Amino acid sequence: MNRMNWRFLAILALALALVAAACGGDDDETATTEASGGTETTAAASGGGDGETLKVAFVHVGPVADKGWSWAHDQGAEYLKANANVEVTTLESIPEGSDSQRVFEDLAADGNMLIFGTSFGYMEPMLAAAANYPDVAFMHATGFMSGENMGNYFGAAEEGRYLSGMASGAATETNLVGYVAAFPIPEVLRGINAFTLGVREVNPDAQVQVVWTSTWFDPPKEGTAAQSLLDAGADVIAMHQDSAAPGQTAEAAGAKWSGYNTDMTEFAPTAWLTAPIWDWGPFYLAQAEAVAAGTWAPTNYYGNMADGMVALAPFGESVSADTIALIEERQAQIIDGSFTVLPDPIVDQDGNERALGDIFIMDYFVEGVIGSPTG
Amino acid sequence: MTTRRFIVEPRGLASARLTLAVPLIAVLLALVVGAVFLAVTGNNPWDVYVKMADTSFGSSRGISETLISATPLILTGVAAAVAFKMLVWNIGAEGQFLMGAVFAAGLGIALGDGTPSALAIPLVIIAGAIGGAFWASISAVPKVYLGTNEIITTLMLNFIALNFMNYLIFGSSSPWRDPLVPQFPSGRPIPESARIPEFFNRLDYGFIIAALLAVLAWFLISKTKWGFEVRVVGDSADTARYAGISVPRKFLGVFLMSGAFAGLAGSLYVAGPVGALDPRSLDLGLGFTGIIVAALARLNPVAVIPVAILMGALNNAGPALQSIQIPAATVTMLQGAILIFAVAGEFFIANRVRKPEKKPAGAPAAEGAGAA
Repeated sequence: MNRMNWRFLAILALALALVAAACGGDDDETATTEASGGTETTAAASGGGDGETLKVAFVHVGPVADKGWSWAHDQGAEYLKANANVEVTTLESIPEGSDSQRVFEDLAADGNMLIFGTSFGYMEPMLAAAANYPDVAFMHATGFMSGENMGNYFGAAEEGRYLSGMASGAATETNLVGYVAAFPIPEVLRGINAFTLGVREVNPDAQVQVVWTSTWFDPPKEGTAAQSLLDAGADVIAMHQDSAAPGQTAEAAGAKWSGYNTDMTEFAPTAWLTAPIWDWGPFYLAQAEAVAAGTWAPTNYYGNMADGMVALAPFGESVSADTIALIEERQAQIIDGSFTVLPDPIVDQDGNERALGDIFIMDYFVEGVIGSPTG
Repeated sequence: MTTRRFIVEPRGLASARLTLAVPLIAVLLALVVGAVFLAVTGNNPWDVYVKMADTSFGSSRGISETLISATPLILTGVAAAVAFKMLVWNIGAEGQFLMGAVFAAGLGIALGDGTPSALAIPLVIIAGAIGGAFWASISAVPKVYLGTNEIITTLMLNFIALNFMNYLIFGSSSPWRDPLVPQFPSGRPIPESARIPEFFNRLDYGFIIAALLAVLAWFLISKTKWGFEVRVVGDSADTARYAGISVPRKFLGVFLMSGAFAGLAGSLYVAGPVGALDPRSLDLGLGFTGIIVAALARLNPVAVIPVAILMGALNNAGPALQSIQIPAATVTMLQGAILIFAVAGEFFIANRVRKPEKKPAGAPAAEGAGAA
């Protein structure tokens, strides 16, 4: 055993560091779980004796303190808590993939009657868990699979994307807008295409350059990707990511920023233009009320600006009054149904007119996008 | 000149009892430190530990889930243990695990539905071993014949393997990618006939296979002529050479065996709970965690089994703790504490700490709990 020298210890230290890195994103969550639920959730462990209180659980892929995707859902949970007799359990930084089935089953076994999973990669594990707990209502955000007791929900972010594209198109002077994007999947492609159409409505010469990060939440990687776009000549950064890092990078470079998920003005007040944002609260409340009333049935819900699930964040100071007026006019048309952000037919990246097709399996870019729609 | 308060001296051979006691004490001390932390942050440590134990061992489903999480850790742990014991610093179990998964999923997909399980399952599992050994060989061959540093090469190859897997699914239309799911890049499911059957809730026979393989590794190292020669090389390459043992060949053998075990972890995971080359299910750092498992198991392949089960239990308890309002970071912290104490314990196994005989007064009590 005395051959276990410093090398072994050094390797152990390295392994620890790598494990910590592999657990990624676990570190910003010190004080989150209980942010505002401090007083009401003390009975969580006991399973509760009050038959009236509905137990609802949320599972997020990132920390709810990301101020982005997971935080927006957590705000929805706060709204639910404030408006219904529920006991909410929130699990954060739960990796996607087959391992998450265990997490959903644990929650069901714990007496939660309504369980939301807010990331795409939970879809199949949740479907498997739902089959084992037929009395529990499962709702999956952003997916397309459903079952006897599992539905899914999402919203037309592309409507907000189009409007934030208008703000970005008006802001760019180099006529190049950079777009930091997570994965080449229909949801993201839809957003990029609607955004680009918005950019080019106000600025027909502008183009949108896309880089892929292969991650939803990885602030350093998102920031690096934004920097690469700035280096390529972009002076406005848009994003389909969960952190504010692209905006902070834009702010440092004196560029502009169109965010996503929530109002992130505070992270980059000068760079901030606007963003498509989510309001999940009323939907969560409706689901919980249906479960409590025994009328719940799985749905495939696709919200939009008209029903309020999708909204537009407040504008930054640099957005001119003229631009705001233009955007608000479009927004009114989107809400009343007289304007559709993704037209049919549509002009693709090569300049050819084509049928819009099913937007839920969209796999192409529109004219004006620089980059590959396959990653 | 300051007088020395303690004398640290090499212990020579540590007793078996001490070797067993130190990791146990490390775990206990970590739980105590965790309890203090929990108490300071306003939680009842007892409730927390009860919740953890209940989640991981309190129900048949909890036990089966713990064993599912332990299965890959047993094999990545054995991979590290056999290598480190022979002073082969293979820290590439992560990459070898992923390559094992790539090979296993690839063969499973290539075999298709028509192959009977009795043939498909063993072939898919063996494909993982070949994939892991192949990935290890990229580091092992230059190490043995050119003297390259395997710490660097195995570490770097981890990232290449990860990006290669991501490329197969996210970056290309490879055969590994499911063409039926255009909504999101996913792994193509391997045929049901190549999946290892479940026997206890969701637990499949992969756990039994992993445990048997760990025993086999112990047997190979401890009870065979080959293992004896390998141990001689590990103790002293010069002695081995003098005894006519081919050192490069032994070195290569151990390195490839280590890679094969890591690759087996990948194939059992793919043919077991995951069922496809799914990067989101596989990129969990299971290879890196294996190094820690091996260290806690004191590089004994059989001891790896209970340690992997403990790590699996800790892993599974994390989300459950969040449901009683304990931040996820607390579990990560507990795991870290256990490892730090285990590494510290290493020192007490290798060395004896005692007070100088002639200076009995003044020195504070030795914290030699582990050395007692």
